[in-house]
Amino acid sequence: MSNGFLSATLLRRQHAGRLRPVLSNLAGLAFGITVSSAILIAAGVPADALIDEFLVATFLTSDGLAQTVTAAGPLILVGLASAIAMRIRFWNIGVEGQMWAGAIAATFVAIHQVGPEATRLPLGLVLAFAGGALWIWPMLVMKVRFGINEVITTLLSGNLAFLLVQHLLFGVWRDPASSFPISIEFPPASQFAMLGWGQVHTGIILCLAVAVVAWLLMEFSTLGYFATAIGFSRKVAAETGLPVRRITTALVLASGGLAGLAGGLVLSGTQHRLSQTLSGGYLFSAIVAAYLARSNPLGVVVTAVALAAVYTASDVLKVFYSVSEAVIVLVQGVVLMSILVAQFFTQFSIHLPDRPKQRGR
Amino acid sequence: MAAAEPSPALELHGVFKAFGGKPALEDARFSLAWGEVHALVGENGAGKSTLMNVATGVYAADAGSQAIDGVAHLPSSPQEASAAGLAMVHQHFRLVERFTVAENVLLALDGKGGARSIGDAARLIREKSAEIGLAIDPARVVESLSTAERQRVEIIKVLLLGARVVIFDEPTAVLTEAEASSLLRFARRLADSGHAVVLITHKLKEVSRHTDRVTVMRHGRTVLAGAPIASLDEAEVGRLIVGETVIPTARPRTAPGARLLEIAGLAFPGQMPGEGIGIVLKAGEVLGIAGVGGNGQEDLVACLAGSLKPLGGDILLDGRDITMASPVTRRRRGLRVIPADRFASGLVRQMTIAENLAMTGIAAGAYGRSPRLDRRRMEKAAAAAIADFDIRGAAPARRTELLSGGNAQKVLLARELDAGLKVLIAHSPSRGLDVRATEFVRGAIRAAVEKGAACLLISEDLQEILALSHRVAVMNGGRIAGIREIDAVTSEWIGGLLTGHV
Repeated sequence: MSNGFLSATLLRRQHAGRLRPVLSNLAGLAFGITVSSAILIAAGVPADALIDEFLVATFLTSDGLAQTVTAAGPLILVGLASAIAMRIRFWNIGVEGQMWAGAIAATFVAIHQVGPEATRLPLGLVLAFAGGALWIWPMLVMKVRFGINEVITTLLSGNLAFLLVQHLLFGVWRDPASSFPISIEFPPASQFAMLGWGQVHTGIILCLAVAVVAWLLMEFSTLGYFATAIGFSRKVAAETGLPVRRITTALVLASGGLAGLAGGLVLSGTQHRLSQTLSGGYLFSAIVAAYLARSNPLGVVVTAVALAAVYTASDVLKVFYSVSEAVIVLVQGVVLMSILVAQFFTQFSIHLPDRPKQRGR
Repeated sequence: MAAAEPSPALELHGVFKAFGGKPALEDARFSLAWGEVHALVGENGAGKSTLMNVATGVYAADAGSQAIDGVAHLPSSPQEASAAGLAMVHQHFRLVERFTVAENVLLALDGKGGARSIGDAARLIREKSAEIGLAIDPARVVESLSTAERQRVEIIKVLLLGARVVIFDEPTAVLTEAEASSLLRFARRLADSGHAVVLITHKLKEVSRHTDRVTVMRHGRTVLAGAPIASLDEAEVGRLIVGETVIPTARPRTAPGARLLEIAGLAFPGQMPGEGIGIVLKAGEVLGIAGVGGNGQEDLVACLAGSLKPLGGDILLDGRDITMASPVTRRRRGLRVIPADRFASGLVRQMTIAENLAMTGIAAGAYGRSPRLDRRRMEKAAAAAIADFDIRGAAPARRTELLSGGNAQKVLLARELDAGLKVLIAHSPSRGLDVRATEFVRGAIRAAVEKGAACLLISEDLQEILALSHRVAVMNGGRIAGIREIDAVTSEWIGGLLTGHV
């Protein structure tokens, strides 16, 4: 009653219901797209072209769809990496570093032709996973042992990994044929098979399988249950005797590993060689995908595909309508914010008091 | 200095205040004269702080009247009270740690008293500090100050704001003995210079030498209004504080069984010098540990639950050493805990009732072999527990935070009072619950003990201790000040140990 100066209050909803989250997300999306369209039209894109590029080119043409699906693969993996760490409130901001570490491991296997050809690709991917896990491991130790904030350490570890890549590309792994700072092309045994549809390769099946496994683990196993409890209250979890240390270790290493796997996937799937351009914007995308999906692994698949579509459409807008990069980022930000705000209202409702409250006397 | 003297500094009459339907003040009254030090004493929850918070405008009273220096005035905010010359020095200081003393004072003054810069504030602090004889350096950062020094900053702050009635909430609780006596001498000087001073305290014995009059509160009522300290004897005050309700009732006692919990020489940080805690708890008995909050109860519970490593001593559970064991091991051996704050360390508020109930059983494999989690079995077990413990408003899939306090406590009980229970550590198990829920909780604990478990009951609520315990101990300064069979417990004995400065 002492807070009489606040006229409106937020009330937590007792039940979110089944339909409300879906409707909220759609309403947020619609609002975001409306505002974005206005921005784009103001930036000089003809209104009818918008529908063409966004809807038709991205979803309804085979080429557009193929590009979207290809881009979605690594986004699914990094989204999962963020999502499972988020479950236990571990903020992995070093997704790009772990991708680089995974890429280094995959490149090592590919260009040194480690092991028989039949197992070359799986071995590269397994080591990519291990590389990512290895890259996050010191940050985990620092966090658990000394309480050092993982946001800072994982973020900085990303720069370290990139410097290591540069060291290799300007050194031992430089392509002798062109002397550009890129590695030699991966032999076919280290590449994913093409599915004969744009650049889509068998890696997408792997990504979907990983997402399903993560979903089963997070939603239906003791691991996921423990992770949820730890995320909500580390203290209660520890005091009721849950294996806090073990679960934290497993999930953080898996988070790094999945990002590493994404690095391996990009090289073995589309780029086929290590270069200095691997992970532009994956950190941002990973956090967005995980956040929008509320850390649900299957939700991550949906948000990753949506993000990939936005990127595909953005590329088209940039190239054909010379819309500046800044406007693209602005549009993406508007859509994202709209959805996040809409999600907030699935949990809270605005409550307006009938009249100003009177103080008791 | 009788209460009838014209225009007392502060007068409160017929004050009522309820929180969520539970009365905290019922017809409370208080009268304070200029130039006196007035002790306001009572147990935790007796309404002392609530009454003073009403006086200083923090809470609005439901009914009642108030006069400041003879003028009827119910301040509706701390700012209004402060403008009328009424201020409270809180137990938990309200200072910005990273700021200097002068910056903190400048922030609080907010332009009053002509302070426009840090230099002005520093000058005011130095003048006031010299005037009242409390040394403080305005340039020091609050972070680097000791507790006593921070308290001085608070005092200077309220005096600079123009306070003439100064209310200290448990001022000595955080101080060493030497600091406490220096503070009390200061309170005396303040009163002698024409102010009026209120000391809210549990420890009447400690403040009695510096006090003129005493008001005692119990269960929201004023049971002794402004009696001169000279006319009181200690036993009488002890009885007034605790009340007449101390009637140890005979209770069924199973034959004293095996020694289930043995604590010897248990030491933890913050204990008063002396020997550590030693307790033996047998099957079929409840040992109640009474005491004013903040006397080491939290640490004792944490040492037993396994979340705090003791500095020394041994804890044996059913004959096996668990002093350094993990919470899981303790659980496996039969230790169960009902923490004081059920959502800080017992239940996860955002998870469902079924999930909270299953929390301890999953690791033991009660809900399918890891990694598979048998959600259906969890829901079934939860439905059974909801029926057994009569948890109202509950469904297995409902989030626990949506339950009322009493029903959330029942969820915790349903989980902790399981078949493996040997020793129950219950910390204020019925705090904040209504009468029915309280009875339910106590009944459940009694039933568990009659079946052969042992219970260590830690509570600040004497009613709760007396309702359940076979033996009663009193905790003070992190040590056991005394222990008696329930039949030998008297209000004088408890009152003396509770308020005494041992």
